[in-house]
Amino acid sequence: MRNAKSVHFWQVDHEVRNIFEVKGTVILSSPQAWQRFKWTKKFFEEKPKEGFFIWIKEQVNFPLATCFTIASPKIFQDLRNLLVIEKNLKIKLSGVCHTQKNNLAGRHLAKGKLILKEGSALEYNHFHYWGEKDFVLPDYQFILGKETSLIYNYRNLFPPENLQLVTTIFSGENSSSNLNLVINGKNTKVNLKETIFLEGKNSQGIVRLRLVGRKKTEIEAISKIFAKAPGKGHLDCQGLLIDKTAKISLIPQLICQNKEAQITHEASIGKTSEEELTYLRMKGLTEKEAIDLIVSGFLKI
Amino acid sequence: MERILLKIEKLKVKANEKEILKGVNFQIKEGEVLALLGPNASGKSTLCQAILGNPKYKITQGKIFLSGKEITKFPPEKRVKLGIALAWQAPPAIKGVKLSQLVKKISQPPTKNLVGDEIEEGKDLLEREVNVGFSGGEKKISELLQVIALNPKLAIFDEIDSGLDIKRLERISKIIKKELLDKKVSLLLITHWGQILNYLKPNLTSVMLDGKIICQAKNHKKVLKIIKKYGYEKCKKCPFLAG
Repeated sequence: MRNAKSVHFWQVDHEVRNIFEVKGTVILSSPQAWQRFKWTKKFFEEKPKEGFFIWIKEQVNFPLATCFTIASPKIFQDLRNLLVIEKNLKIKLSGVCHTQKNNLAGRHLAKGKLILKEGSALEYNHFHYWGEKDFVLPDYQFILGKETSLIYNYRNLFPPENLQLVTTIFSGENSSSNLNLVINGKNTKVNLKETIFLEGKNSQGIVRLRLVGRKKTEIEAISKIFAKAPGKGHLDCQGLLIDKTAKISLIPQLICQNKEAQITHEASIGKTSEEELTYLRMKGLTEKEAIDLIVSGFLKI
Repeated sequence: MERILLKIEKLKVKANEKEILKGVNFQIKEGEVLALLGPNASGKSTLCQAILGNPKYKITQGKIFLSGKEITKFPPEKRVKLGIALAWQAPPAIKGVKLSQLVKKISQPPTKNLVGDEIEEGKDLLEREVNVGFSGGEKKISELLQVIALNPKLAIFDEIDSGLDIKRLERISKIIKKELLDKKVSLLLITHWGQILNYLKPNLTSVMLDGKIICQAKNHKKVLKIIKKYGYEKCKKCPFLAG
């Protein structure tokens, strides 16, 4: 991390390196939170070994930042993270999970719960940078209270050998969620499972996937919207195959249990357009530069 | 003596197994403006694409030289690096990529200030995605900005004047004159109707019909007058016929 002091929670391997609490927040390691606040037990379910606890009680007008680093070989991080945002607060959070070297063969397992209380809003920008031998399993649940708003942007431009990303959103009444997942796959196997449960009346949820399959990449994405209440949901899943050794499977699924709900999906997988590629080459870019530019545009949501 | 910048020799080009160019010869000297007129589907755009090395167009015979160096088999990007730039007639959209991003990436030299900032029409376009939702006129401005950014020795404009109103045509012609012509950049102006020639005054005007250049004249006004009066079919019999 370039500027560790600006990170509010920073863990390297298994050691908490830095906690920087700001006014109106409680930031602890999750084992400390388990000890100090009994009410956290229902969210952690079992005593956590490591991870963060962030409780935001007052408005914070700058982005909070967390960082998990793997710096030593064969580290297995087994994280339990809990974020609680109190009523009517508008919060920005930036999270980075990464390895310091390409060949550390680490495991990063992160189970997280993010609780948004009534009227609150969260914009969470989550970045992953992994090495060729890493194994990464994030499993995040967002619990959205009444009239809340969530924007979750997950970007992984350097995926690990194996990524299993599970994201679940439980949407309360009049809540809205935007889940944007961007993965630039190269030498990787990726399994994605996103589910939005539209549980509250007038809840809305959108999932956008932009997946790129480069060399030796296999990506499978199962995206689901489950409408239990009269809400609206949409799945927008797009894949781009760059290399002949890549494979992308998109499985959008709509389950509707309420006749007033409206849920839709669109899904497509294609290759880079020859015309665009030639156009950019005829502007002086090499084939690789042209592909990179097209991909960067595709990954922009 | 002015040196020859681009020389095309007996060029035959196929696309989708159909022969489109059937033996094209011409040359452009340094600092010279050459106009190429012709009806739809006469091969004008194919010629531009072949000069830039679009792999969709196969050269079956003939050669292309730039400053005496044969470039017939060079990939497109190498031709651009050597100093040829093309403004496309119908450029594709590149989603998610801002025009400013592309212009910055292709600018020669790379440190050059972003063109467009000085050109009023370009300012708003720079912040938009390349050709996404651009009107016909906006596409022309975008292509012109890119050509200027490339700092070429030879700029090829494929129907830059089509679909433009008089005011915009005048403005674009002024920019071409200031940014390219006054800097001794050679121009190949492909045009269907020829309006732009009144502003950029070519040294030579050629007519292409059915994949061949059939006429070359110094006075573009006379060529335009004949085309206007008799249509392109009459060009075959016109008094300026190159033979």
